[in-house]
Parts: sequence; C-alpha cells; structure tokens
Amino acid sequence: MNNRQDLPLKNDIAARFVPKIVALMVYLGTLCFVFTLFMIHSTHSWESQFSSDLSIEIPTFPGTPSGMLQSRVLQLLNNTPGVRHAVAVPQKDMANLFHSILGEEVNIDLLSMPVIIDVTLDGKKMIDTKSLEAHLKNISPHIQLLDHRAWHSQVSSLIHTSVMLALLITFLVLFAALATTIFATRTSLLIHRQIIEVLSLIGATNTYIANQFQTNALKQGLIASTLGSFLAFLTFLGIVILLEKIGLPFNINTSFFLEAVCIFMLAPFLTAFSMMLSVRWAVMRALRL
Amino acid sequence: MSEMIAQLVGVGHQYEEAPEIFKGVTFNIEKGSFHFLTGPSGSGKSSLLKILYLGLKPTWGSIHLFGEDTLKMKPSLLPLLRQKMGVVFQEFKLLDHLKVVDNVSLPLRVRGVEAKRGHKHAQELLDWVGLGDCVESYPQSLSGGQKQRVAIARAVITRPQLLLADEPTGNVDDEMAMKLLHLFEELNKMGTAIVIATHNSRLLKMFPYPQLAIQEGTIRKLPTKVI
Repeated sequence: MNNRQDLPLKNDIAARFVPKIVALMVYLGTLCFVFTLFMIHSTHSWESQFSSDLSIEIPTFPGTPSGMLQSRVLQLLNNTPGVRHAVAVPQKDMANLFHSILGEEVNIDLLSMPVIIDVTLDGKKMIDTKSLEAHLKNISPHIQLLDHRAWHSQVSSLIHTSVMLALLITFLVLFAALATTIFATRTSLLIHRQIIEVLSLIGATNTYIANQFQTNALKQGLIASTLGSFLAFLTFLGIVILLEKIGLPFNINTSFFLEAVCIFMLAPFLTAFSMMLSVRWAVMRALRL
Repeated sequence: MSEMIAQLVGVGHQYEEAPEIFKGVTFNIEKGSFHFLTGPSGSGKSSLLKILYLGLKPTWGSIHLFGEDTLKMKPSLLPLLRQKMGVVFQEFKLLDHLKVVDNVSLPLRVRGVEAKRGHKHAQELLDWVGLGDCVESYPQSLSGGQKQRVAIARAVITRPQLLLADEPTGNVDDEMAMKLLHLFEELNKMGTAIVIATHNSRLLKMFPYPQLAIQEGTIRKLPTKVI
C-alpha cells in the first residue's frame, strides 16, 4: 500500500477537533468499562461468599442452655426435604461479628449471643418455608426463620442491571466517538471534493481514495486514543490509591488489576481500528453515491 | 479495420433548463489517430471532451470506450478506463498542496508505481517541457503557461492510449505551443490517440490533422488539410 498522502487531511478543520474528542471519549469509555469490570468482579466475589439461603436464629437467655434447642433444630433441618446443608455459625465468628459492630472493648461474654444456623438449600428441590417455620415454632416460639433469597435476588438483579447499564454507556461512548469520526470524514470529503474529483479523473479507484482517509484516521485514532487511555489509567491508579488510603472495603485484587491494565492497553488499538473501518465505510459509501 | 478507442453514437446533451448543446453527435476515434476538436467559443468543445473522459453523462446516445459500453458498465470499471486516458484540463486542475513533481507523478502513484520511480519519470518530463528547475515548486508560484505545461506533463506521464487536451496551448507562447504539439505528435507515433480541443487557427494550419468541427450542435469530420 502506498502510504503517501495526496489529500491534505492533516490541515483539516476536522483534524483539529476529532483527536481531542476521541481522546476524551476513550478516556470516559475505558474508565466506564473498567468500572463495569470492577462491578462484575465484586459481584462474583460477593456471590461466592454468600452461600446461605436461610438463617435460623435461636435466641439464648441467661442461664438457659441452648445446646438442646440447637441439636433439635439441626435434626429438623437435616430431615427437611430441600435442605442441602445446615450448620451453626461458630461462636468465635459470631464474637468477631459483634466486635466489628460494637467495638473491641465490649465484653461479648456479658451479652446473650443468639445461635445462628446457616441453611443452604438444594436449588433443584422446592422447600415449604411456612411449614418449616411452623415446625421451628413448635420447638421454641422464639426461634426466627430469616429467608435471604428475596433480597439476595433483588440485590443481584440490581447489580446486573447496573453492569448492563455501565456496558451500554461504554458502547454509547464508543458509538459517539465513531459517529463524530464519520461526521468529520463527511466534512473532509466536502472540503476536499475538488482534489477527490481530480484524483478520480486521473484514474484513482475509490479504494485508493478511501485508503488516504483511513490511513489518516488510523494514525489520528492511535495517537488520540493512546493519550485518552493513558490518562484514564492514571485516573484509575489515582482512584485505587485513594480507596486504599481511605480504607474503603473495596476488593481490588490482582486479577482485576491485570484485566484493567489489559483494557487500557488494548483500547487504543481497538478504537483506532474501529475508526479506520468507520472512515473507510463512510468514504466508500459517499464515493459510490 | 483499425481498433476503436471511442465510439460515440447519437450523443446529445442538455444542461437542465438550457437548450441542448449537441444533437446526435456520432464519431469514432481510432487507435493512433490524431484529431483537432474545433468550433467557436461556447460551441461545446469542453463538454464533449468531458463526456469523453466520463466526467459528464450524456443525456442521449451511447458511448463505447475501449470496447466498454460506458452507460451500462459496472461503476468499478470507471477508474480502469480513466487510467487508459490522459486529460489536460483547461483550468489545469493541479493540486496546490503538492509539489510540481508530485503533481506530475500523481497518475503513476494512483496506478501503484513506486514514488521514487514516479519522481524520476516526472523529472524527465518536466525537463522536456522546460520546467526542470521547478520540480520542488508549488503550483501557486507558477505562471499560467507553466501550470499548463505541468498539466500536460501529468497527462502524458502514463503514455495513455487516449489523450484529451482542452486548449493545451492557450496559455503558452508560440514556441512552446509548437514544442508541446511536437510532444503530442511523438506520443501519437507511439500509438496514443489524441484529441485536442482548440480554436487556434494558426496551429490548425501548421499541424494538418483531421478536424472534428462542432457546428450548431452537430459534428462534422473535416479531412486532413494539406499545406
């Protein structure tokens, strides 16, 4: 391919604003995509930690042993169809949980901590929670059955909707960048119509003319999107450092970090390639009309 | 029978509301022929050349170029037909942002010829038309006559099968006009069919080639004049 430029595309009015817009769009797009990735990672992590479907709370009263109640409840659960697994949360874990809420200085032994039994259901079988609750009340009217599935499902659906929205915004940003490039190309075609006419009259094929535009778009796209992606990477690093300093409970693991870096590295190439194809399409279409 | 480069049958053209400029023009251009296209100003010489280089679609009639029916052929063939032609435009149509050498070598570049080789050819032609020292100049810095010579060099650099020239000697002195006509004759001897639109009667007398004379919208082929 002859890369020499016969069209003065570098001096275009379009050439001045397109790289700035593309850089901005790539900046926003990559950040949005990395944010989406972060949400996907966090959701997976949360969902893997969240194994219990039901919780049974057996209150304890000072001077009353809860061991008997606990074993009766566990026996009931193990004989209930649809229950895969039922286990009492260790007292040490409960103590840690209370300490994290009330502070380390609180003496947990003075509190009457309930016994919590985590129940994992067999997803393939149905369970009658009303009947189970009635049986539990027969053992002790103070026993509480907490069904986490409804709110878990609501939170999951909210997170998935947010992920889809974030992805949609990412694609809209990319679409806006490509649309801007196409509009700028059409402006360029109008600005250089006389030169294009001369090229056409001396035997230049549409492909030859389109090559001039697409080569320019590829160069512009690579420079602008590399800048945009690099700035987005700096912003991402800044956010990571800030979150660590503040101590917010966000889990930025190595796998997510590496994937994010890959996105920042691939974004310029994908953007430039998309720009090149869009410009080629716009020029070939305009020349065919 | 000699090979046909162009065949025009019943060609007519009309610019929208304006009266028609041709009425059923019919003529052939054979390989290696040399014709002058004559007629008074405004008679439609430039329009007829434009129709020949496929820059204007005729309102009526049919045109066969290099054996292709230009009205029925695929659009993708258009550049290939144009690559067999060289055109000297009346208004030169040089690209102001390119150096003279790049302007002249442009048709070669469009055909995929390496830039270095194209520049060498362009340099030779520019030397021939007396512009060897303007290689690195830009068209804006040239006079009308110089621009015309650059336009001619660009049109002939590919040794086309058909050369169409619209008043190619309009902006040059007599000596240069003669030199350019001799260049066209040399090309013609190598097999290029040449059609030159002109109303320069002195040139017509000195180069007694057949004339395609446009008169009142029709064309008449005048035989070779013998001096």
